[in-house]
Amino acid sequence: MSIAENTGRGAAPSGSGDQLWDPVVRVLHWALVIAFAAAWGLGKFGPSQMTLHFYAGYTVAGIVLLRVVWGFVGPRTARFASFVKGPRAVLAYARQMPARKPSNSWGHNPVGALFVVGVLFVLALQVLSGLLADPEDYVNVGPLAQYVSADITRKALALHEPLSTLLLIMVIGHIAAIGFYRRWKGEDLITPMITGRKKG
Amino acid sequence: MRKVLLSALIAAVPATMALAQTAENETVKARRAFYTMLGFEMGGLAAMAQGKVEYDAEAAQAHAADMVTLTGLHTADFYAPGTSKDDLPGETRALPVIWEDMGAFQEKGQAFGAALAELNTAAGGGLDALRPAVGKLGGACKACHDDFRAADF
Repeated sequence: MSIAENTGRGAAPSGSGDQLWDPVVRVLHWALVIAFAAAWGLGKFGPSQMTLHFYAGYTVAGIVLLRVVWGFVGPRTARFASFVKGPRAVLAYARQMPARKPSNSWGHNPVGALFVVGVLFVLALQVLSGLLADPEDYVNVGPLAQYVSADITRKALALHEPLSTLLLIMVIGHIAAIGFYRRWKGEDLITPMITGRKKG
Repeated sequence: MRKVLLSALIAAVPATMALAQTAENETVKARRAFYTMLGFEMGGLAAMAQGKVEYDAEAAQAHAADMVTLTGLHTADFYAPGTSKDDLPGETRALPVIWEDMGAFQEKGQAFGAALAELNTAAGGGLDALRPAVGKLGGACKACHDDFRAADF
């Protein structure tokens, strides 16, 4: 291995240790997997009295909130400022993405960063629409619905289901991207999200 | 003369259409009023079940009995054809699937009726009996809204 490769983007920057994802990012990621799956499944197939769906939704809300805060105060790879890039960098990355070699990004790549921000935004929108929705069944009323007009509670209700479909598509896209990196680019993105470390 | 008849005929077409439109609007108004009243009684019970209003056996029983009375109406005419969301957008959220699959719609109505009968038995019997019965009836509201009512106008 040449020196150039050794100090490339795949290697941990000096001073950061060899930890790619800190424990907070990892715990929040897998907690979101569980909470989102629970909220989604209970919403679609759960009982008509949706108490558990509500709890799952509150959990998602807490995770999104913590992740956004961590995006400002967390370590380097967790911070929005370190991974959100302009259109030039996004296009440049997207152009070389089909190449059959590992990206060796230390942290979110510029295209992945778009997904991170996008999914946090849509999740926040989904939480908000759920909190404001009133399905007029007197048992599954969003806790904030009473503070807004009936027009807004209906708009929120009308938004909640299409957003759930959008989120499902985003999750499938996310998993497909990981499969693409694994199979096509020969890069394992799952292990670092579990152990925090990236094999050199 | 022929001209007069002809213009009368031409004038009559939109007039009749307007009249027909009105009859359907009236149906929608009556239907929504029916659900408004059901919702009003249910709201009173839900407020007690959720502790927003103190439980009152007599009032709870009255709410439940009023809902039983309301569902005893001949409701078929509330669902006259031509009164779906597609026919009258902005006025009703009743999805056309009600008329396409009246059997499935009526099944939801029967589930609602069964839950209401349970609630009517439980309502006067204390808060602990009321709460699950309200939850079950609310679930019956939701089950029908999910399939047969649009989220927005």
